[in-house]
Amino acid sequence: MSVSQKDRSGLVEVVDDIEAINALYRERQWGDGLPVIPPTRERVERMLAGTQRAHDEVVAEVAPGFGVATVQQIAVNAVLAGCEASHMPVLIAAVEAISAPEFNLQAVSTTTNAATAWVIVNGPVAQKLGMNSGLNCLGQGNWANATIGRAVHLIMQNIGHALPGEMDRATQGQPGKFTFCCSENEAASPWMPLHVERGFKSEQSTVTVVGASGTLNMLCHEKDAMDLLRVIADSMIYPASNDYWCGGAPWLVLGPEHADILHLAGLSKADVKALLWEKTKMQASRRSIKDLARTRDARSAELGEIGLDTLLPISPTPDEIGILVAGGPGTHSVYVPTFGNTRSVTRVIEL
Amino acid sequence: MIATTAFIKLARAQASAFGQPDLPIAVIPHPLGTRSRAEVRELAEKHVADIVALVCQAGAK
Repeated sequence: MSVSQKDRSGLVEVVDDIEAINALYRERQWGDGLPVIPPTRERVERMLAGTQRAHDEVVAEVAPGFGVATVQQIAVNAVLAGCEASHMPVLIAAVEAISAPEFNLQAVSTTTNAATAWVIVNGPVAQKLGMNSGLNCLGQGNWANATIGRAVHLIMQNIGHALPGEMDRATQGQPGKFTFCCSENEAASPWMPLHVERGFKSEQSTVTVVGASGTLNMLCHEKDAMDLLRVIADSMIYPASNDYWCGGAPWLVLGPEHADILHLAGLSKADVKALLWEKTKMQASRRSIKDLARTRDARSAELGEIGLDTLLPISPTPDEIGILVAGGPGTHSVYVPTFGNTRSVTRVIEL
Repeated sequence: MIATTAFIKLARAQASAFGQPDLPIAVIPHPLGTRSRAEVRELAEKHVADIVALVCQAGAK
């Protein structure tokens, strides 16, 4: 174990001075570049009061370094991020979710792609924690959204050892690697919430994690559902996409106004996915020659022989396109392309 | 372990994470993803003997 990895856990005695402590965090790469709240014994104890799980219980081993995420280690990072004790159950479920094999955190954390974990909260806990699912839900300003997302990223770095420039090989990365978290606007959605779609009860609360490569805002004033879908689908198609490389599972954050237009046209969420899946098929020749060769390697078993005229689906099946309804008033939706070789994972939040 | 030049740090850290800090790592030029299958095969054939020697050397320790 290298010195830097060995030094990433345990007790350190320091002067009780926030600037000195933050300087130590900078020096040891224990933070994310922003000031942190020092995780003193007292603060970690208060954080641990937010869960009934045993402090030394192992929640997961976090890739790529496979550091052991005990409940206490999660609490330490929660303090660093500025979380409240009531956020602990969300964080524990999020750590379980990012560590599920199908999320492929090993690759999400080490790829040159900008991918990172987008954390989505569903169910009653979102309101209880005062999370933002409305105006600016993917932006700044909400304590729970900001600190929960930040804590998950600090866990990926401090417990998973995904240090930028070291094991985290992102060519540029993205702002979402500081924090990327919201809840679904279930009240404004015309459809069943994400967690109910995935078989959970509406009164349960869940965390869903997505290996997201970024966000692309889509403005569309159209009121006709089919034309709106055509424009959204066109916006989802881009030749340099990881999703087309290996058959991914991209996501849409539909603004409530867009969702209503689709719903009023009689479309279910499954209908929208099926239509988008058809409309996002991209001619294989739009990929670069080298990248088309990679697509052939990755998708021949799924699609058979891939010629220049082959229409590549964005995901192997329509259902693998994820849909979340979130945001406030406005004719905007957001496209969230993914790393491709990753699948979203939903876990129950045990309160 | 085989890594391209851009991934040496990752390879070394990954080996350490699995308790094998001294694992020999064969390094090949980056990038691999944009090489054709034929080019990758050519590269593999050129270096396979060295890599086998590296693995055997590690196994003999």
